[in-house]
Amino acid sequence: MSFQLDCPNCGARPVWEFHYGGASRKRPEATDQAVTDRQWAEYLYNRPNICGEETEWWYHRSACKLWFLARRDTRTNQVLETRPFVPQEAAGG
Amino acid sequence: MADSEQAIEFEFDGKIIRAKAGQSLAGALHAAGEHIVSRSFKYHRPRGLFCCTGRCPNCLCTVDGTPNVRICTAPAEAGLVVKTQNAWPSVKFDILSIFDRFHRFMPVGFYYKMMYKPRWMWPIWEKVIRRIAGLGSVDHKRGAEGTYDKVNQFCDVAVVGGGWAGLHAAVEAARAGLSVTIIDDQPDLGGHLRCDPDLADPRLPDIIQSVRENPAIQVWTSATVFGCYEENYLGIQLGKRMIRLRAREVIISTGGWERPLVFENNDLPGVLLASAAQRLLALEHCRLDGSAVVVTDNAQGYRVARQLAAAGTKVAAIVDIRANQPATETGVEILSGRTLLAANGYGHVDSVVVGDLAGKSQRTISCRWIIEAVGFTPANALLYQNGCKLQYDEACDQAVVKTYARATHSAGAVNGRHEPEAAALEGRFAALSAAVALRPQDSGLAAGRDELKSQLDALPLGAAPCAHYVSGSSAKKKFVCICEDVTEKDLCDAIVEGYSNIETLKRYSTVSMGPCQGKMCQSASIAICARENKQTIGETGVTTARPPEIPLPLGLLAGRALHFSLVRRTAMHDWHLRHGAMMMDAGNWKRPQVYSTPEEEYDAVRNRAGLIDVSTLGKIELRGRDVVQFLEFIYPNRFANLQVGRVRYGVICDDAGILLDDGTIARLEDQRFFLTTTTGNADAIDSWFRSWLAGRPHLDVQLTNVSGSYAAMNLAGPRAREILKKLTDADLSTSNVPYLAAKQFTVAGVSGIILRIGFVGELGYEIHVPSQFGLAVWEAIIEAGKEFSLVPCGVDAQRLLRLEKKHLLPGVDTDALSNPLEADLPWIVKLDKPDFVGRRSLAQATARGPRNRLVGFRIAGGQIPEPPALVIHNGKLGGRVTSCAYSPAAGCAVGLAWVPSELSRNGDRIEIHVDGHVVTAIVQDEPFYDPTGEKLKS
Repeated sequence: MSFQLDCPNCGARPVWEFHYGGASRKRPEATDQAVTDRQWAEYLYNRPNICGEETEWWYHRSACKLWFLARRDTRTNQVLETRPFVPQEAAGG
Repeated sequence: MADSEQAIEFEFDGKIIRAKAGQSLAGALHAAGEHIVSRSFKYHRPRGLFCCTGRCPNCLCTVDGTPNVRICTAPAEAGLVVKTQNAWPSVKFDILSIFDRFHRFMPVGFYYKMMYKPRWMWPIWEKVIRRIAGLGSVDHKRGAEGTYDKVNQFCDVAVVGGGWAGLHAAVEAARAGLSVTIIDDQPDLGGHLRCDPDLADPRLPDIIQSVRENPAIQVWTSATVFGCYEENYLGIQLGKRMIRLRAREVIISTGGWERPLVFENNDLPGVLLASAAQRLLALEHCRLDGSAVVVTDNAQGYRVARQLAAAGTKVAAIVDIRANQPATETGVEILSGRTLLAANGYGHVDSVVVGDLAGKSQRTISCRWIIEAVGFTPANALLYQNGCKLQYDEACDQAVVKTYARATHSAGAVNGRHEPEAAALEGRFAALSAAVALRPQDSGLAAGRDELKSQLDALPLGAAPCAHYVSGSSAKKKFVCICEDVTEKDLCDAIVEGYSNIETLKRYSTVSMGPCQGKMCQSASIAICARENKQTIGETGVTTARPPEIPLPLGLLAGRALHFSLVRRTAMHDWHLRHGAMMMDAGNWKRPQVYSTPEEEYDAVRNRAGLIDVSTLGKIELRGRDVVQFLEFIYPNRFANLQVGRVRYGVICDDAGILLDDGTIARLEDQRFFLTTTTGNADAIDSWFRSWLAGRPHLDVQLTNVSGSYAAMNLAGPRAREILKKLTDADLSTSNVPYLAAKQFTVAGVSGIILRIGFVGELGYEIHVPSQFGLAVWEAIIEAGKEFSLVPCGVDAQRLLRLEKKHLLPGVDTDALSNPLEADLPWIVKLDKPDFVGRRSLAQATARGPRNRLVGFRIAGGQIPEPPALVIHNGKLGGRVTSCAYSPAAGCAVGLAWVPSELSRNGDRIEIHVDGHVVTAIVQDEPFYDPTGEKLKS
């Protein structure tokens, strides 16, 4: 992998400056009784592994330490968009 | 340049060879009449110089112990020792050439057919084959010489290939205001024009000079681009340096490789590519003594014939594959509509058999050299690697680009533009295309590009070279792949056996899998595959081009990249070294492991006082209105009730309830917390906190990583208070600074954060001061502690001290399956809190009950099991020891181990496997030292 990500703070940097944080997903409220054990296990252990466009968390660990969202085509590694998180979205971890 | 007065002497298989300055090793050998320089891979046939451009496998030798050096591109230097490879006793007389007689028993893929039964024989066969076939061998005793390094570079435009097209591209791109890097694998720019005086343009030296002198153009010669990776990330080998070049746009102007002709004995020494002959004449100052026959289907052959004649070689005939060519040219006979059927000779060409394309009308012409000028294969591997779509074009007999990948351009012979004027035009066009991509708003650039485009469209693609591969007598050795000794018959047989697809044909016959990576055999193998399958060349396709494009020394890949390997030293580092500390790695940090002995240091802490450098701890400061809410969410334990001036132990879990790290959380002010993490997890926890904050921007929490800002030291032992008292005015009494107090006061004149915690189980102060004062405070404490026999302590002593207190180390005593309920910390999980990270999983684990538990144990006998010694339960694996050492306090070995929960009660006996026998240990709930915490709180 040698593609680049456009860090919202620092601009285009090679991928190895970043840490991949996985696809952005909604975390079930752990106290929510409506969430079944199966749904919780699904959140913990299953990854969507999308073939195509995916919105992901990336962390600029070698520089500004910003966690941001990137929309990436997993087939071509083309990064289509990067932006900071905006509330009302699915918060991940 | 040649200068006979500066003769250089080197050794070739024990013989002294004299070279002229500027000559390559191969050129000097040619001049000295050494025409056999290697033996072939499989049949051990004699091989001589063939391509002279560093691409074919024929000149691979061991130079000064380095195997597989292409001596045609290695400059001759005094004192070099050149040895031939893969021959015994010598290249001139190689006993293993007996295999050449038995080729009938070694058909294509013979090892698959003959050596798979009985199965146990294969390892023996493998050894035999390895010995007989192959290239040079690595001298294991010698090791690699010098150091391999990695360099990172970037530019606007990378031009790969410094020929006529590439030079024009570089100049044009620089003129457009872009930064340019031009890379060429030959020692000088100019490409093919360097060695073809009839093609060379008088402007060549000027343009080379202008490129070299242009400050916007970086020039790398003798450097090979071995791979084009995502987003124009180019891997370049420059000797022992790997240059990793990020280019915004890339122009591939790599030209082509001259392709060999397939005829019987076409691998005899004396058979040369035309460009090789030109190089020997123009660059190596050699002659080709005797007579030569030139075979050609294009103008290049006639130029070479003229150049040979001018250099004193008698050109016996020009064999032109095309029909209806004039009968003579300047007195040389031209055999039109003919091709070469066979070369004859023993160890060197002495004659050639010429016939028509059907193999009839044979005639033998005696000659010493056979010169092949039958066209070029485009060097387009990098275009394929970058994702360009290419298609075979009948008109110019080569693949041409149909769709370009993003930010990729190409120009010159690689596109079929062989004529210098067209190549120059296309180079400039490619440069302006790249410039337009980078400066779309500059209309002047676009206009210039369009103007060049219209000029270019008016020119036809270069005259079609069309090598004809004659199907003739079937049993003889017509070599397609000289790297792996694959003949035309081998390919035909493999296709008959069903390996008719070009990819399977490659894998089965190993054609194109040798050191040249298909540069010599690609066009012939595709043509033969097409012919046998009755397909067109376009339908046959090409094998996938993958990096690396040339064989790379492993050292290049493993080389140093110093600027990416961080070494961190604490403020007291030099002091530790001066006082005899043995240092150890802890993540990126260096830490003192031991100064004197762990026993002495242990004794000091337990009975007097010790000072431990804990600057390597991760340190995070959190401020803001919502800090408490955030801490309540991140940690399983409670922080809302932590009072200002107090510190609390905490562990961090993930959402699966797995224990990630531990540390202390101090409340310095109402909305200001000071956290520590373990040394190894400092960056991971920083990232972890930020990741949860990133999804919760409504929280008013400011996180500052202050790991490097504070030096920290742990002053611990019964005399710690007395020592600290000498350095501060603060009231250190238990009522003011009790156990688990977090205070800010001045120590040795420096204001610091003082945490009264007891990782080692004694009265102790963890003192954090700004890093620049770390050494001063450390030295002040050491000085103040002299009268109490204070000593500095290392990690070894600290580990033993904490083990006696049963304090776990995350990552040592826990793993990716450990939750705090099972890791002896059930009290820390507060399930009555609302949602926190790991809550749901920990609630599930609580309901399920512990399956395994981390327990302390003691062993009465003298044995000390080494982690990870196994815990045996009912004759089966039940758990493992994670820490164990002899405890002076307990007077026996103590440790921590994971055991099944049914063995985890106080007094349970567990069996530990030590050196093949079983040792009984007793589970103990209490710490092994100071179980009531009396000393800790004193």
